Amino acid sequence: MRSKALALTASAVLFVAGLSLPRIFAQEPPPATPPEQDPQVTLVLPNRGQRPLIKLAIPPFRGTQTLSGAAAGAAREMEQTVRRDLENSGYFEIIGPDRIGAVTWSGDMQRDVEPFRALGAETLLLGDLRAEGDRIVFEGRLFDIASAQPILAKRYRGSATVSRRIAHTFADEVIRYLVGKPGISLSSIAFTSDRSGHKEIWVMDYDGQNQRRITGHRSTSMSPAWSPSGDALAYTSFFNGPPSIYVADMATNRKQPVVTSGSMNTTPTFSPDGGRVAFARSEGGNVEIFSTDRSGKGLRRLTHSNAIDTNPSWSPRGSEIAFTSGRAGNPHIYLMDSEGANQRRLTFDGDYNDGASWSPEGDLIAYTSRRGGRFQIAVTNVVTLATRVLTSGAGENESPAFSPDARKIAFVSRRSGRKQIYVMDITGGNVQQVTQEGNNDMPDWSRIPVEP
Amino acid sequence: MNRKLMIWMVVPVLVTFLTGCPKKKPATPPADIPVETEVVDTPPPATTQEVVQTPPPVTEDEVEDPMLSADLQVVNDELRRRGFSPDVFFEYDEISLSDETRERLARNAELLKAQPTFQVTIEGHADERGTNEYNLALGDRRANAVRDYLGSLGVDGGRLRIITYGEERPVCTESAESCWSQNRRAHMIITGRASVG
Repeated sequence: MRSKALALTASAVLFVAGLSLPRIFAQEPPPATPPEQDPQVTLVLPNRGQRPLIKLAIPPFRGTQTLSGAAAGAAREMEQTVRRDLENSGYFEIIGPDRIGAVTWSGDMQRDVEPFRALGAETLLLGDLRAEGDRIVFEGRLFDIASAQPILAKRYRGSATVSRRIAHTFADEVIRYLVGKPGISLSSIAFTSDRSGHKEIWVMDYDGQNQRRITGHRSTSMSPAWSPSGDALAYTSFFNGPPSIYVADMATNRKQPVVTSGSMNTTPTFSPDGGRVAFARSEGGNVEIFSTDRSGKGLRRLTHSNAIDTNPSWSPRGSEIAFTSGRAGNPHIYLMDSEGANQRRLTFDGDYNDGASWSPEGDLIAYTSRRGGRFQIAVTNVVTLATRVLTSGAGENESPAFSPDARKIAFVSRRSGRKQIYVMDITGGNVQQVTQEGNNDMPDWSRIPVEP
Repeated sequence: MNRKLMIWMVVPVLVTFLTGCPKKKPATPPADIPVETEVVDTPPPATTQEVVQTPPPVTEDEVEDPMLSADLQVVNDELRRRGFSPDVFFEYDEISLSDETRERLARNAELLKAQPTFQVTIEGHADERGTNEYNLALGDRRANAVRDYLGSLGVDGGRLRIITYGEERPVCTESAESCWSQNRRAHMIITGRASVG
């Protein structure tokens, strides 16, 4: 009875909030770093549910002091992770412990929400932690402060080793509930790193945590590309001679060859149904785009130009492929149907464009663009061709990859010396460095949360 | 602005309407909230298996003539002593062969035709400017340009193997033209010997 009523209330809240979104929240924030030079056509960035920030109070989680040892550390990590995930999402103004101060709980919610209401908070997030044997139990709740009513309650139970995962899961629940959009807290970024002495494929959580090596070829491995379901990574490796395409199974860590014949097979990208891989392949010195199924069968040639055609990126709906071609003299981004027809040029600005990454919404393509002798990250609308440069200055900004919610872009920069991976909003603002060790390159952001 | 305020005023009304007036104020944790439980399990440890295949090592007996040595390093050194150019160079973003490169390749072709069992690997390299991905394609085209020219001079194409390294294996690592010009190259090396046919 009650739970049904609550569910109704929940959908009513979402319904009201969802209805009012487009009309109220049309204001577009300006980019934090203005582009170095004005592109011919300025791209008006799409509104990805951009809205005034939801004022969310997160007082210190309760029960942490009752935990000890590994559980205590895991509890602290959980609290930080929930707070950081919600902050990173860009949907919230977090009112944290620094503004909240000491809290006393009377058990009477009408009275207990009062200090948070006084701080201007709209929603209150309460976290409770306790130990249950060697497991941690986390309960997360949301309260609407205006009514002092609970609106979401979730309980998670797991060992200390999955504390981050629990925190990410709850953070995405909060985002889904309050914003109505899927979060990216459980997404992963694949990349290359030379920190082990060889360029290998690595994977990390979206926030830079939990960095782990996937390949151990002790050769050169590069260009990782997630399968749409996150069950596999396609990549290029030199470990058995000429650069060839392999697929690493994320569950078993087994590596399978896809295409190894010929002098060069590079830059794989999965079709959105996961069934095919498009890549660049040399046929007697003519580098062209091909596609094949995941086991290397059914090879199809998609391009037929005398210039280099390379680095394909499959569109999220599967009907098109973006790629780089030198057919106009300099490398530029082109589009074609996924079977090779209807080839047309996308980019006209910059004198060296490569590394297309298709937005999961299908409207934008991000790529590396050389402007005035410097590499920058640019985005172009695939319909209007309107373009915007998102980075500026020195530092060789390269290799963009869209986040699964299409609101962020991971990229590589040398701005701090070595090549490191950074994440920024699609406005170009809020830049955060996520790798530190060695040279790190070629990020590819998973499409949906990856099961470990 | 006002609309937003309105939402938060509408919400409590809806809440009250749909749930009825709560008889008692909810305490924390409130006893009347349905709590969804989700068990998050520790993932099983991933097994580490690699499908690394190593080609069988070349084993041959050592002989007097350095050109017949089983040690390919000795063979390559001897070829160089006789005028073989292991490297030819390219202009930025170019795959065309200069006159000097053609002369060097002509000498290389003569030496290779005199040793018909030698298998040659032609590596294509690029400087660090540009993207790693595009440079791999550029290296492949450079290596192929050299193979095609050697072929036109009568070297059997079946003896010439191509591999591109793009900008992945620079011989010089400073960010300066003096270095870049050394890295824009095709590198030729004897990597095997076919059984005489």
